[in-house]
Amino acid sequence: MTGQPVPQTAPSPDATEAGVRSTQRPPRPRWRETLGLLARNPTAAVAATVLLLIVLMAVFDETLAPAGPNEISVEDRLQAPSWEHPFGTDDLGRDILSRVILGAGVSLRVGFLAVAFALVVGALIGLLAGFYGRWVDDVLMRFMDILFAFPAVLLAIAVLAVRGPGAGNTALAIGIVYIPVFARVTRASVLGVREEVYVRASRSVGASDLRLLTRHVLPNAAPPIIVQTSISLAFAVLAEAALSFLGLGTQPPNPSWGLMLAEGRGFIDIAWWLAFFPGMAIFLTVLCFNLLGDGLRDVLDPRQRTLMAGGGR
Amino acid sequence: MVVLAGVSVIVFALVHLVPGDPIRLALGTRFDQATYDALRARSGLDQPLVEQFFGWFGRALGGDLGVSFRSGETVTSLIAERLPATLTLAFASILVALLIAVPLGTISALRPRSFVDRVATVLSQIGISVPEFWMAIVLILVFAGTLGWLPSGGYVPLTEDPGAWAQRLLLPAVVTGVVSGSVITRFVRSSVLEALGADHVRTAQAKGLPQRQVFTWHVLRNALLPLVTVTGVQLAYLLSGVVVVEIVFSWPGLGQLALQAVQARDYPVLQGAILLFAVVFLLINLVVDLLYTAIDPRIRR
Repeated sequence: MTGQPVPQTAPSPDATEAGVRSTQRPPRPRWRETLGLLARNPTAAVAATVLLLIVLMAVFDETLAPAGPNEISVEDRLQAPSWEHPFGTDDLGRDILSRVILGAGVSLRVGFLAVAFALVVGALIGLLAGFYGRWVDDVLMRFMDILFAFPAVLLAIAVLAVRGPGAGNTALAIGIVYIPVFARVTRASVLGVREEVYVRASRSVGASDLRLLTRHVLPNAAPPIIVQTSISLAFAVLAEAALSFLGLGTQPPNPSWGLMLAEGRGFIDIAWWLAFFPGMAIFLTVLCFNLLGDGLRDVLDPRQRTLMAGGGR
Repeated sequence: MVVLAGVSVIVFALVHLVPGDPIRLALGTRFDQATYDALRARSGLDQPLVEQFFGWFGRALGGDLGVSFRSGETVTSLIAERLPATLTLAFASILVALLIAVPLGTISALRPRSFVDRVATVLSQIGISVPEFWMAIVLILVFAGTLGWLPSGGYVPLTEDPGAWAQRLLLPAVVTGVVSGSVITRFVRSSVLEALGADHVRTAQAKGLPQRQVFTWHVLRNALLPLVTVTGVQLAYLLSGVVVVEIVFSWPGLGQLALQAVQARDYPVLQGAILLFAVVFLLINLVVDLLYTAIDPRIRR
């Protein structure tokens, strides 16, 4: 505590924001320090390692996959898991393990793209709204309220209906859904640092708004945004799977975990492995992003609580 | 109100940006120019967009959401038909969620870092991360397939056959309830923990009040506010967002209606459904605010 009055986040008219309280934070932890602390949190460390493996798997998918994603062999159809096909084969005799490996790239790419889009747009809106306040805040956040009032899944479905299915459009649809979440988290965090002594000091020596924002406000407001990024990645992967499951996301014959689940659903009585393994892959990836997000929160921002807003969950 | 108007504009714009001509699609192979023109004029699609919007918005305020392109029924009646199923599932799910979350969250908060707390944390983490459609498929496989205890889907109104109603409701309610319950558990845990650490609780304990009394009057009451908030958010989500679960369980709810409307380019239905969801969302927020004032006299002022 510095003895300085702590600026409180303005009470929000919106109920969902009540979970976030951004007040005094410890000084900005440096990268190395953060990583060190994270490594000492066993759950987060394991989650990060598994995620790294999944990413590596997605990068080297073609070398790792024992068979091509669309190698059809009718005599091998609906084989139960065995040494030759550890995850079994589907109704066209395609190797499920290979399709799960190749599906990782699709799911992760859509997830990263979606969150990157939401992060850039949402954080920018939140930054401007929180920093300038007054009418800028009113206009921007009111617009965010409107976007937020849409049911998340339907908004994504509607965007996909306009733009047509496919990986890029799926990322865009999920990204749009998440913009308000990032805008709110960023705004709340910016409100907390806006009146800090170092910001006022910098302003008093004539620093420009741009300099204030990039050098002081954004770095110090970053921790909750980083945490939100990890959690949003979890939900983006989940959302991609759900949209593909509905037939609106990734299109066949491309392997996507959600699509494989949908295809396997029809065979659930006779061949459980068709739907089981892609489901496991989604679950594991989402779980790791969530655990990493929790670990990051403990390290970076112990005071902030979960903001589970819209977006699929 | 501003939000509602904004939602309407975006819904309208979005829906009209959808490529594909709904009338042409509805006519299919029976296409002929005269019928096409007549239908177009009847549904007002030949008017300029702005006029279409104000016409639609004005009628929507009066409760008339237009007529479905596909079936010719009014959107209001289509929605009314689906509403009971959606409401049933949403409230059953939130009940399951609270039954899981409140005891589990409270126990973990009372014994932080204990074995129970760790188990509860892991379980809620799993519940948040599991894809609900996958859980739905697995549960169907186990309970409807292997064990044969429950039907794999469908919906029977309560008034027709309460037994069949409950049987069909159980699995989807558990799936969505577990997911929402996991989210709520985390909130309950952290808000009870925070309330436990508050000064007034220490004072009450120091006064020598019985633990039970301290807990019900000083801890739970303070932990109730965040619980109400997150329950409201979850309820709003359950009322609108469980499209995927509805599909897997062939549950004839609003989510399914909206998805079909997207696929069939049935603008009026899609507009009506999204508008309704937005209204529900705003209503729930209003109720949450009202509950706040009821629970916390400080807000009343």
